[in-house]
Amino acid sequence: MPSNKHIPFRENIPAYVLGALNAGEISALEAHLETCVPCQGEVAAYRTLSDDLLMALPPKNPSAALRRRLQSKLPSARRPLRQSMKWSLGRFAVASVLVVLLLLDGFAAYQMQSLQNQQAQLSHQLQAQQTALALLSYPGVQVVSINSNGITGTLLVDDDRNAIALFAWNLPSLPADRTYQVWLIDSQEQRVNLGMFRPDPALPFTSFSVISSNPIANFVGIGVTVEPSGGSSHPTGPRLFRVGF
Amino acid sequence: MSNLEDAELAGQVARGNEKAFLALYDRYAGRIHALTLRILNDPMLAEEATQDTFLKLWSRAHSFSAERGSLLLWLLTIARHVALDRLRLEARRPTLSDSSDPEEAWQNIPDGNSLTEEHRWRSLYFAVQSLSTEHRQVIELAYYQGLSQSEIAETLGWPLGTVKTRLRAAMEQLRRDWNR
Repeated sequence: MPSNKHIPFRENIPAYVLGALNAGEISALEAHLETCVPCQGEVAAYRTLSDDLLMALPPKNPSAALRRRLQSKLPSARRPLRQSMKWSLGRFAVASVLVVLLLLDGFAAYQMQSLQNQQAQLSHQLQAQQTALALLSYPGVQVVSINSNGITGTLLVDDDRNAIALFAWNLPSLPADRTYQVWLIDSQEQRVNLGMFRPDPALPFTSFSVISSNPIANFVGIGVTVEPSGGSSHPTGPRLFRVGF
Repeated sequence: MSNLEDAELAGQVARGNEKAFLALYDRYAGRIHALTLRILNDPMLAEEATQDTFLKLWSRAHSFSAERGSLLLWLLTIARHVALDRLRLEARRPTLSDSSDPEEAWQNIPDGNSLTEEHRWRSLYFAVQSLSTEHRQVIELAYYQGLSQSEIAETLGWPLGTVKTRLRAAMEQLRRDWNR
């Protein structure tokens, strides 16, 4: 390479090793260095000088706290924290399992309670239906149709056994603090409690059956009213329907 | 541990030996901190840069190769980059004066009669100090402040050509003094 073209690159080498060239100058010089062995030697010589410049300062010790800070960042110093985290994770896992088991236990208890309720309801319905079937199969049973206030159904009355079975459709659902109460009605319009029931939301009809402790023959009909839960000694709420025998 | 060679200690650090790491810290913290303090001119920032440098030693010791240079040079190169990055992040103004006291430096310098590495930097330190103010300024601004020649010209209010000439002359003088 002619010396007059070589010189500008060579003059930039001291600034190059100090990192004082801009990007364009660096690119040009490095392209030149790829083919210029003398300049490569110059770079190596000045690089040694710049490396030595890094060491051309008298030592200055940092504070003792810096060593402690560094030590605190090493794995051995962080290990107790990790162990603590492991313990915490272990405890968390155990706690999680306990919570899950408690939830499952509670859920199982809830399911058990629900099943018991359903069993009681089904048992009650089965009893009512068996009573109704028994009544239907008995020759002296009176069958009374119900069609009142949009409610339809059938009332089976057995005077001989003082048994009554009621099948009603389209009964309105009730708030939790209310129940339907059935009254026997005599010729003097006196009411005698016959029992209570609530419609089953899972079924399109409601059944109610009972063996009366009073002779059915002494009464002329039944009425159904809405009463507070637990029932009333006499009708207090709105009447759902009334039907005569 | 303190008698082991740098390369051997670095190898142990690469394998997670904390005692080796602390031995290297004790050996070179003063040298690293001197550089970061010179660049950042702030004790707190300099300690952070020194800490970051040694954390890089801890995490990257496996990449050190003794064939390419000394461990101290490797650490100082890392420290310079860390400190210059921090300097740019802080957007700090360049510092033009060397705050180190030559008399204090003498007290800290090990045996100067040997041909050890310490002797080399002791000689170079005084070679830098013997430069004219203009020559020392351009060296300091370029190497310890990370400024380009254009930025040095702007900082000092000198023509760019003057900066280039003085920087080249300063390096040539150091080279002559160093080889003398």
